[in-house]
Amino acid sequence: MEIRPILSALMRSKVSMILIGLQVALTLAIVCNALFIIGQRMDRMNRPSGMNEADTFTFGSNGFGQGYDAQAVLRSDLALLRQLPGVADATNTNTTPLSQGGWNSPINLQPRQKSATANTAFYMVDSHALGAFGLRLVAGRNFKDEEVMPMDQGDRIQPSAVIVTKPLAETLFPDSDAVGKQVYLGEDSPPSTIVGVVERMQQPWIDSSTIEYSTLIPAFMPYGNYSRYLVRTEPGRRDEVMKAVEQKLAEANSGRIIGRMRSMEQTRADAYAGDRAMAIILGTVIVALLLVTALGIVGMASFWVAQRTRQIGTRRALGATKGDILRYFQTENFVITTIGLLVGGVLAYALSLWLMQAYQAPRLPWYYVPVGFACLWLLGQLAVLGPALRASRVPPAVATRSV
Amino acid sequence: MLKMTHLQKVYRTHLIETHALRDFSIHVREGEFVAVTGPSGSGKTTFLNIAGLLEEFTGGEYQLDGVDVHGLNDDQRSRLRNEKLGFIFQGFNLIPDLNLFDNVDVPLRYRGYGAAERKKRIEDALGRVGLASRMKHYPSELSGGQQQRVAIARALAGSPRLLLADEPTGNLDSLMARGVMELLEEINRQGTTIVMVTHDPELAARAHRNVHVIDGQVTDFDSEPALRAGSRESGIGNRESVQAAPVSP
Amino acid sequence: MLTYYLQLGLRSLKRNPILTALMVVGIALGIAASMTTLTVLHLMGSNPIPWKSDKLHYVQLDNWSPDEPYSEDGRPPDQVTYRDAVALMEAGKADKQTVMFKLSLPIQPENRDLKPFQALGRVTYADFFAMFEPRFKYGHAWNRDQDASHARVVVLGKDMNEKLFGGQDSVGKSVRMDGIDYTIVGVLDEWKLRFRYYDLTNGAFVDPDEFFMPFTTAVDLKRRASGNNSCWKSPGEGWDAFLGSDCVWIQMWAQLDSPARLAEYKAFLDSYVSEQKKLGRFPRPLNNRLLDVTEWMEDQRVVSRDVEVQTGLAFAFLVVCLVNTIGLLLAKFTRKAGEIGLRRALGASRRDVFTQFLIESGVVGLSGGFLGLLLTGLGLVAVRALYSEYRTVAQLDWMMVLTTIVLAIVAALLAGLYPTWRACRVQPAAQLKV
Repeated sequence: MEIRPILSALMRSKVSMILIGLQVALTLAIVCNALFIIGQRMDRMNRPSGMNEADTFTFGSNGFGQGYDAQAVLRSDLALLRQLPGVADATNTNTTPLSQGGWNSPINLQPRQKSATANTAFYMVDSHALGAFGLRLVAGRNFKDEEVMPMDQGDRIQPSAVIVTKPLAETLFPDSDAVGKQVYLGEDSPPSTIVGVVERMQQPWIDSSTIEYSTLIPAFMPYGNYSRYLVRTEPGRRDEVMKAVEQKLAEANSGRIIGRMRSMEQTRADAYAGDRAMAIILGTVIVALLLVTALGIVGMASFWVAQRTRQIGTRRALGATKGDILRYFQTENFVITTIGLLVGGVLAYALSLWLMQAYQAPRLPWYYVPVGFACLWLLGQLAVLGPALRASRVPPAVATRSV
Repeated sequence: MLKMTHLQKVYRTHLIETHALRDFSIHVREGEFVAVTGPSGSGKTTFLNIAGLLEEFTGGEYQLDGVDVHGLNDDQRSRLRNEKLGFIFQGFNLIPDLNLFDNVDVPLRYRGYGAAERKKRIEDALGRVGLASRMKHYPSELSGGQQQRVAIARALAGSPRLLLADEPTGNLDSLMARGVMELLEEINRQGTTIVMVTHDPELAARAHRNVHVIDGQVTDFDSEPALRAGSRESGIGNRESVQAAPVSP
Repeated sequence: MLTYYLQLGLRSLKRNPILTALMVVGIALGIAASMTTLTVLHLMGSNPIPWKSDKLHYVQLDNWSPDEPYSEDGRPPDQVTYRDAVALMEAGKADKQTVMFKLSLPIQPENRDLKPFQALGRVTYADFFAMFEPRFKYGHAWNRDQDASHARVVVLGKDMNEKLFGGQDSVGKSVRMDGIDYTIVGVLDEWKLRFRYYDLTNGAFVDPDEFFMPFTTAVDLKRRASGNNSCWKSPGEGWDAFLGSDCVWIQMWAQLDSPARLAEYKAFLDSYVSEQKKLGRFPRPLNNRLLDVTEWMEDQRVVSRDVEVQTGLAFAFLVVCLVNTIGLLLAKFTRKAGEIGLRRALGASRRDVFTQFLIESGVVGLSGGFLGLLLTGLGLVAVRALYSEYRTVAQLDWMMVLTTIVLAIVAALLAGLYPTWRACRVQPAAQLKV
């Protein structure tokens, strides 16, 4: 409506305009980049691990003393676990997705290859792994019981059969079906045959650049006297089964310690604690920032209304309706906010550029800034509404009041 | 043009009732130049506020240019003010952040004229008060007399039927006051009805007719034209009665 | 006069409680956000052993694959092989030196009421205690002879001693670990490490080590380290092959008491690697590194990028809060133009007006500072809840409390400077005519 006179009036009180504009500009720049970071973290946290996380838990068994037979304990533990009420399936495994610790190794198409075809995580599991992890087989078959070999730490990795994830299979054999093909897991080892492909199973490290490349190795492999298990329970019975398992296994063998009992949900929470904290902290900063900016606008607008009471009265006397006065302050806010936002848009991209250089952050997608514009326009309009309404209620008779 | 009959204005607070106007009647005809005089606190300002549709009244009747004002809502009153009235304030009430052009533009904006029409009217109005050359100046760069001329230009720009002036020379020295007064007379000669509130007898004397208000009632009036007003009509002349009492809002 | 201004300031702030509250809350929020992140940053990045951090050096050798570097940016491996660890310890060319790895062992308490439990400890040499200087509550470290003789001795952490012996002096007693008895030679006092700077490879923000055991003794157990192990080629079958392999899993530190000693040791390492090259090892170009404690912390990014970004954003937030305060103070002071004019007419000098209003700003800053301190406390509680591993670095110390208050006042004075300067320019006469 009457932007030009508003603008020229604002140019006469530059400092206030600059202050609010600057505040809006900084807010836009920070909010856009912080929201983008939050979005990235959320995307990271929402990546599926490929396994059932709701009904699964892991724990370790650590034997002590001389004459402890880790292989025998491993078999008897698995047998015991599988017949416990509430247990849907169980397997031994050296690690799980999201646990941040595991075995990473090259996987090759030729023996003694100079540089690796791909890097993969190993999961040393038995023939119950698909059921226990809740993995989806998309090609080939599961391990047969007789393919699961006893291994000890330091042994060569030379399984006859392996199961790989689909992304890994596609990287190894982009043009053909991976099932039945041979891969090399060690420089001197005989080849292993891919017998199955699972849709997805993340590596244990959430920061891995090859997080989708996992390989299942059929092996009973305790780590010294230590072995680790993964149990999937019937839906909804996890917590109850966890207690029962701890007790039963301790009873079954007193020469060991049952420990590190953790649900996969807990493991996921721990793995992404940093990302979650970052998202929460940035979210808090955003909320506080918007709050301070909104309060700043309320404060400044209130001040302007108070300062211009007589002017408002005069305008009313000259024929302005309440709506005209309301719109005047709303338009004024819109003009200031827009100027701030234009500067803020540039700042937002500049900040993004700096984050890219200093922290290898990805580029801020263009649409964050227009969305930020919309939000701050709305915020500005909401913040100014109170003072503007107060302005519209200034009686026209103020104009004739002597000072 | 302006016709008030048995008008009443009562301010109520939780403790007291103040009768700012009681049984106030006045009739101003087209083309007249009427001065409303009276001491501070007499109800002059209340009269002006009601006449200018800035305040509502609590009883009686008021017709402005044939329109019965009673029962109009806020927006209708704003509209009426904008179309029929021009205001000249004691304190000029120019908007300091706007230059002269934009100041005169204010009522025209609310009128909803197009840009060309507004420009023509603004230049015209500023021309009439002799300030056409200073359109880009800001009020603070002008003398008091010049500021009041701008205010007059602002009041004239919308071609009002009635010009309401509130102590138009109250903030001016006598030289400037004379200039402003001459301008008002000139405007009146050109056909605009003017009602001026003042306590300055010298100023009032230059009007066609004086209406004297004391204690919320019209007490005196001079000049002949048939005036069916006020219940009490006594005496003629410009009685000087300045009181030290504070001005009621 | 000062108290008069203070009174005036307080009264003026009380007259506009909402505006005042907006300013105080604005400053407090900005201060709290920046101080919370700054505290974490400060404690994370602070030197854990300032008196000798430039003497302790982390030893890195590049024994990695000829085909690809250990790390894209050319940094050598962050740990050394067993072969090199033993060889460098035997050479003993540094003023003090130690190698170490992390080991998890089952503890079998003598007290039958206590169930066996798993404990994480550190396997190292006697020099460890002289180099990193933990305080002993009872007893002392083992000695170099005990290192050489593979003695079955152990130093317990304070918590472990509490658990096993109720905090009593347990020196001379024994503790059974994985079926073997070890004699306790010492018990550490509380070791207030904000983070475990001597083993950044296995996570800086972790629980303290529960026991310490001679390296030589532990290797006899043929138990693998609980920490990271990286190999660029297959180590081969069995324990001895593993020890002889190029797998890296041991951390090494050398104490070098002068720059000259540092240069000597650097030369020694280079000649050691050159010797090894003749034996067919170390196929990559010479790439040894001896970083001191602070350099190593930087290299291992103890201060995470997230914390840096958070701190940056928090300070940007503080700037917004300050801009906000400037605006509000300006609004407030502008409204007082009449009062200023009157005071000036009554004989106040510009300087008087300046002082009066600056003090008012200062009062806002002080209140904001105290509220900010409170919020910082809450913020740190939140950080501890969000990052359980940062509990040792999300603590307010006196230094930071003082910084907070000073920062708040300085911020408010800065914010008040421009509005005050504007207020002072009011002409005494300008506001008096009606």
